[in-house]
Amino acid sequence: MVHSQLPWFIGGPLLGLCVVAMRWLMNERLGVMGAWSDVVDTVAAKRLSFGPFGWMLFGLIAGAAIFALIAGGPVFEGYGWLTDTFSGTGATLLIVAILFACGILIGLGTKIAGGCTSGNGLSGNAMLSPASLVATMTFFVTAIVVTFVTEALI
Amino acid sequence: MSTRIAGGLIGVVFGVVLSWSGMTSPEVIREGLLFQSSYLFLFFFGAVATAFVGLRLLKRSAPPALLTGERIAWEPVQPQRRHVVGSLLFGVGWGVSGACPGPIATQLGQGIAWGVPTAVGLILGIIVFRRMQSRSQRGTERTPTASVIPSPVAADATA
Repeated sequence: MVHSQLPWFIGGPLLGLCVVAMRWLMNERLGVMGAWSDVVDTVAAKRLSFGPFGWMLFGLIAGAAIFALIAGGPVFEGYGWLTDTFSGTGATLLIVAILFACGILIGLGTKIAGGCTSGNGLSGNAMLSPASLVATMTFFVTAIVVTFVTEALI
Repeated sequence: MSTRIAGGLIGVVFGVVLSWSGMTSPEVIREGLLFQSSYLFLFFFGAVATAFVGLRLLKRSAPPALLTGERIAWEPVQPQRRHVVGSLLFGVGWGVSGACPGPIATQLGQGIAWGVPTAVGLILGIIVFRRMQSRSQRGTERTPTASVIPSPVAADATA
């Protein structure tokens, strides 16, 4: 069982090394949205010849599956703040709708901003890209405000 | 080794670390964003600091890329309106769902059903962006969204 949380001073640097590996091996900026986009773009072009980023997404999913198998189950405590707030019939459908809407905001927003938590937040800041610093401050502050507001409301 | 295999292997490491660190659980993200736990910020800081040092060393020694042989180089991107507008949208989605693109993928990998609607929405978001992008390229008139939709050329390398 590996259910204890990996210490941040091991997990964080390992993610950082993934960014360095992507640059050292193929001079690319690691970004998970780039990975999702590669899969969508490739499928939209009616092809199945995914690039390194598409394969990175498959790797992410496979890595998570391997972890869950070894750990004996997923690391997931549910959506407490949503499931506690909305109960009764239709609650599940409502939460699905909320998460679906969040997904659209995440997909569209990160594409417009040119990166997500990994592309802008991790890789872009490590590259000292001013745009990534602005993007990171914006999404962190927004997410913190939204979380505090929803916590106060429910 | 092909770049595809390398990309896949990097993904596996990334996926295991995201899972093991608890980033797949929206509760962990939420505790971080509510400042109830310092883990999220320390984890993020550790990752950026390590990547920063590694990239510095790469830039200084400037070796050719191991698999492609191309010169290792990158240009800083200057902030534009789209970086703020897009990140505002993303921040709302992240704050409510407690999931961002990496953890959405690892939720699917761990077999967490709640990850499905988020992932479907994310894919739809990419499709909507592609539509907006092709429309803003076709029309010569300036649409209200034109200023926040980057052209493929201007888009950051691998957004």
